[in-house]
Amino acid sequence: MDTAITLRSARFRAEREADWTRLDQLVRVVERGGAHQLSYQQAKDLSSLYRQAANSLSVARETSLDAAMLDYLDALVARAYLAVYAPQERLGGLVHRFLTQGAPAAMRRSAPFIGLGFLAMFLGALAGYLLFFEDPAWYNVFLPADLAGGRGPEASTDYLRGVIYDDDAADGGLAAFASLLFSHNTRIAIFVFGLGIFACAPAFLLTFYNGLIFGAFYALHVDRGLGLDLAGWLSIHGVTELSAICIAAGGGLQLGAAVLFPGTTTRADALRHAGRDAVKLAIVAAIMLFAAAILEGFGRQLVQDRSARLIIGWGIGALWLAWFVFGGRQRNVSR
Amino acid sequence: MSAAKGRSNKVRLIHDFLPPEGVPITFRVAGLTERLGAQVTDILITGLFAVAVVLLIALAGPQSTDELVVGLGSLLFFAIRFPYYVLTELMWNGETLGKRMLKLKVVSADGRSLTAHAVFTRNLTKEAEVFLPLTLLLVMESLDGWSRALAVAWVVVTLAVPLFNKRRQRLGDLIAGTYVIHYPESRLLPDLAGKATPQEERFTFLPHQLDIYGAFELQTLETFLQTDRHGSLTPEAHARRNQQLDAIVTQISKKINYEETIQPAEHSLFLKSFYAAQRAHLEQRQLFGDRRADKFHGTSATD
Repeated sequence: MDTAITLRSARFRAEREADWTRLDQLVRVVERGGAHQLSYQQAKDLSSLYRQAANSLSVARETSLDAAMLDYLDALVARAYLAVYAPQERLGGLVHRFLTQGAPAAMRRSAPFIGLGFLAMFLGALAGYLLFFEDPAWYNVFLPADLAGGRGPEASTDYLRGVIYDDDAADGGLAAFASLLFSHNTRIAIFVFGLGIFACAPAFLLTFYNGLIFGAFYALHVDRGLGLDLAGWLSIHGVTELSAICIAAGGGLQLGAAVLFPGTTTRADALRHAGRDAVKLAIVAAIMLFAAAILEGFGRQLVQDRSARLIIGWGIGALWLAWFVFGGRQRNVSR
Repeated sequence: MSAAKGRSNKVRLIHDFLPPEGVPITFRVAGLTERLGAQVTDILITGLFAVAVVLLIALAGPQSTDELVVGLGSLLFFAIRFPYYVLTELMWNGETLGKRMLKLKVVSADGRSLTAHAVFTRNLTKEAEVFLPLTLLLVMESLDGWSRALAVAWVVVTLAVPLFNKRRQRLGDLIAGTYVIHYPESRLLPDLAGKATPQEERFTFLPHQLDIYGAFELQTLETFLQTDRHGSLTPEAHARRNQQLDAIVTQISKKINYEETIQPAEHSLFLKSFYAAQRAHLEQRQLFGDRRADKFHGTSATD
């Protein structure tokens, strides 16, 4: 012990300074190149030195008034914390865990909300369908002109059939894919998810509205005797795409429900809790929209047969369902 | 000087950040201008990349209408930007390139590791908060006035959220449970009360002389005394410092009724000696449960 140092806190500091310097060096290595730069022994040292330094900080706060040391230790422990508690998981592992466990489990937990999303869509479609037969003028109310693309009540049956069964060469390829991905339904999906946070209502209404469009559109084709043909045309990607919208709506409704009914926690906490599943739902919806865009961009041109379209569309829908229902069942998954 | 800035009132600190070890760590909340700077840097990086790809496609592709290029560009921008944010924040533990340059970092508010979920959530929300409405404004020419106003209002409101909470959290930070902090810098300044030199021991202080000041005054004095150690002072700054030194010595010796008059040459010695004695005294009191925050410790709280 150094006899020249009389102050207790100064002695405390002098005894530990070497360890802090060593911790500082190790942390610097991690900051530069990541934890895998350390040898086994160094990694062990890092964690034990970090805990010692945290301990010193706790003691120093009670016993020392040396601001230089307190500031230094605080910052050093903070840096060491960031180095020690850096996430160590590999990207591949994350993706794998999400696909096999996280996503299906979240889907099952959120089943009531997703059910509500589907209900909104279905009710909208029913209303649109019935309203069209009441008065075809409703069609123009529901469908924006750019979305309808000339397919209104005034269009001829042949024209409608042509759209369903014609492959337009100029529309194919990457350009079509890009535009479709950014198309109406993707925007709807993003909005129903994002707006759900405002007490559910916008998400429900938008999904309902989307159902209205769909119902009126379908009714128009049923009116011309093209119902089943349209079902095929829509099914090939629509099963996936419309489900994605309903799932996104389910995520949005979950967020909105957390805002409306936070229970015993604060709204922020409830929102954070709901977010854990809602975000997984959003990712699932994004994956499905991506798949739908591929199907719409390429599959619809290549497959012209009605029943083949129906089989592909609903087959893929069944695959999604199987993933959600059976994925990640073997283990008891904790979030 | 970051050390001096760290004590000014403008800096927001997080005091209740609790890692699993149970010792709270203090972090500095990142300022909004700095975060904006990091954001702009990131947008520039990803934007330039997207523009390069679009140019390549426009040169190679046969059909390139303006609308298509804009649409494709915004799509590509998203396709590059979103993975960029998520991957960099995952790989570098909460830092994008822009944040790295400005020494900012995302940390998990619960004191645990930053999870992939948190990174994903805060960046997904960023898309919904800012980028999506802006993209819609740029891409959709058919948008009517109301929708435009709505999109702008949406962006403004979401951008204003950090102004209304202490930790400067975005909506996405709130949902993901994250803070954006300044990367802490640790520099160990010398211990002023380390080894006492024989000259310093010449000054002695009596207990009642040390009962006047508290920890705040002590640490203010320490900050002042540390200034001559780090960095070379310019001649003017040195002169100014000497003036301050004289003023402080006069003030202290008057306040504590120090009998001897101190020669100007010994001012520095006197202050160091006083600092050591005062610290020893206060720390001693603190050990016995008598914490003295500042010179008002003796008076009542309403004073």
